Amino acid sequence: MYGWTGKILRANLTNQKVSIEYPEPDGYHKFLGGRGLGCNLLWREVTPETDPLSPGNKLIFMTGPLTGTKVPTSGRFTVTAKSPLTGTVFDSNSGGIWGARLKKAGYDGLIVEGKAEKPVYIVINETGAVVKDAGELWGCNVPDTTKAVLAAEGTGYSVACIGPAGENLARISCIMNDNTRALGRGGLGAVMGSKLLKAVAVKGSKNIKAAEEEKLKFVLYETNKWLKANPITSQGLPEFGTPVLVNLFNECGVFPSYNFQESQFSEAEEISGEVMAEKITVRKKGCYGCPVKCTRVTRTARDEGEGPEYESIWALGPQCGVSDLEAIAEANYLCNRLGLDTISVGSTIGCAMEMAANGLIDWDLKFGDTGKLRPLIEDIAYRRGVGAELADGSRSFAAKYGGEQYAMQVKGLELPAYDPRGLQGMGLGFATSNRGGCHLRAYMVGPEILGVPKMVDRFSIHGKAGLTIFYQNLNAAMDALIICRFIGLAVAEEYFARLLTAVTGEEFQPQDLHVIGERIWNLERLYNIREGFSGQEDTLPGRLLKEPVKSGPSKGHVVQLDPMLTDYYRFRGWDSRGIPTAEKLSELGLEVM
Amino acid sequence: MYREFSQIGRDLFIQGLNSSHSGNMSIRLGDRIVITRRGSMLGNLKETDLIETGLSKNDSRITLASTEIGVHRSIFKNTSALAIVHAHPVYATALSLLEDEIIPIDSEGQYMLHRIPVIGFEHTVGSEEVARILPEYLKEYKIVMVRGHGSFAVGQLIEEAYQWTSSLENICKIIYLTRTLNGEIKDRKSDQYNKW
Repeated sequence: MYGWTGKILRANLTNQKVSIEYPEPDGYHKFLGGRGLGCNLLWREVTPETDPLSPGNKLIFMTGPLTGTKVPTSGRFTVTAKSPLTGTVFDSNSGGIWGARLKKAGYDGLIVEGKAEKPVYIVINETGAVVKDAGELWGCNVPDTTKAVLAAEGTGYSVACIGPAGENLARISCIMNDNTRALGRGGLGAVMGSKLLKAVAVKGSKNIKAAEEEKLKFVLYETNKWLKANPITSQGLPEFGTPVLVNLFNECGVFPSYNFQESQFSEAEEISGEVMAEKITVRKKGCYGCPVKCTRVTRTARDEGEGPEYESIWALGPQCGVSDLEAIAEANYLCNRLGLDTISVGSTIGCAMEMAANGLIDWDLKFGDTGKLRPLIEDIAYRRGVGAELADGSRSFAAKYGGEQYAMQVKGLELPAYDPRGLQGMGLGFATSNRGGCHLRAYMVGPEILGVPKMVDRFSIHGKAGLTIFYQNLNAAMDALIICRFIGLAVAEEYFARLLTAVTGEEFQPQDLHVIGERIWNLERLYNIREGFSGQEDTLPGRLLKEPVKSGPSKGHVVQLDPMLTDYYRFRGWDSRGIPTAEKLSELGLEVM
Repeated sequence: MYREFSQIGRDLFIQGLNSSHSGNMSIRLGDRIVITRRGSMLGNLKETDLIETGLSKNDSRITLASTEIGVHRSIFKNTSALAIVHAHPVYATALSLLEDEIIPIDSEGQYMLHRIPVIGFEHTVGSEEVARILPEYLKEYKIVMVRGHGSFAVGQLIEEAYQWTSSLENICKIIYLTRTLNGEIKDRKSDQYNKW
């Protein structure tokens, strides 16, 4: 079999046993890998209403058929679990090299189940996997943990681990890999912490061969032509990283600030990609096999690290009314070290700032309190003082003080750096996302701002339901392959199908990817319905539905969600409550679910 | 500025010099340039389809700029041009696949352009190689054909660059027609332009 190793590791932390399983090929063909296989496994193995932080939840590390090949950005991997932040199925994927090494060690994935009696870490290489004592690592931050594991295991390993935030079960904690890459969202770090699993180290160097090497070579040649020709992937992202979007989105009036009270930030220029490149960027860096290299290695007067990315700049900046680029970068470094999701951290702090301004909490905290960022982040990671309340995310925090309207979240996941009042399709994408307020599920800024594949009217709702479905399905397939979303800005799905065909030797058409993506989307939906979710949760914070933007290019707009949602359910083949029909499930081969 | 871009963009499309989404135009304004948006329809340009960015320096708007921005920048930096029209004229593109240079055989073509070089590259779209080599030709010629891809024309105004593009296509249509007629061309003045 090409494209997959056909082997998945299962580590039971309760009895410390590691075994190898050989899944049926049918699962690979129906779900490909990554997010698809992860969801399928979670559906089958985690019983309904399992507490996400209990031993019954599982943590599923999964590569895809393109992982570790010569395909650009193919070093990615996914972790899937039931989220302690949203209660939904949740996958997060990350770059770096960890995923490629797992595949090169000879495994498609790793299922972690149960709970260890004391802190442990897992070591995987080409000869198998073992569970080791992590007593001395517990309490360490991400760089120290990574360093210690590498010192203990030797060269050639790649480490995925949690920091103190995950250990302390912060529901906005993440898993970090390769020191600075993040499986950022959904509190997966807390799931890992709940199992007392500190790290997973992987080493592998097997050559991943394609079924049709010559064909792959030519499709890669064509793919790279587009990556080089497109100014986004050949100039914008390589030169400025994702912060290239700051000025652009601010000019369009979709760059929210002050907890989405505004849709622009008056000091955006000071925190833009252009200024970042001039003031704090030291060099650029890329993930495994990535020609784009959007990561920034940066240095401030007091510290150094990686990032911040666009979303992190926004969350730790305008969302909190902060415009000090160095302070934002340092807050970002700290989140990385402690293992915290920068988006949820910044958004939750911004929520608290607005609640304090409105007298719902009696805290000495206001928008623009730059100096409060780092202490608050530490408090969140260690669940100290007020940090203990913020560590569970904005929904939980706001509800405690009767300020639900100030939590800018969907299904519990904090919204990222796009004001959907100026991006109607993005609004629908946020509302219907199976993992909550996520921009990457549909990534409607492609057609709504970047003109990929073509520019559509971002203020119009016409045609948005169909387009959102198209991208949700396609992106689900990309997350199963797994390749970086940015490739999709330059290369069409036809190329993904050809790459998959060349790697696996099995014929895939673009339409096959859409069907696989749709299958994944519907299974995720079924999972959430099984957990008690319904169409009621397919909504947005009231502010975005009722409060028109006060000024700027998006002035006067709110998200017109209801008509788009009605179309969306209908076009999806779901009933009016947002439940997939039997006919749709049958069409997708999900009837047994 | 928008009016000029939209009128000429529309004329390029109506004249068949571009297909629905092909081609791009730009002008230089000191250290800045204004270029059409990537994937925009020149025959139906909107104001938001004009993207201003740096002549040398990138900024956030690079994410919206035409795929050919690297070639446009290089032309502006290495020639005296203030305007560029890149088009995909059908007859000229067809002829470029057969010839190393296009020599007008009609009197207006000879008067206007004398000779149009055809240069071939491995990669023709958004290509660094094109960006490096093309300006050398545009120092001497008003318009150049990239083999199998399209034309790049320069001028002080967009209208001027448009004129060369339109003239080139006329030249190529006449060549095509005379070849299909299979007769002997009486006027061989064009031979003198071989070394222009």
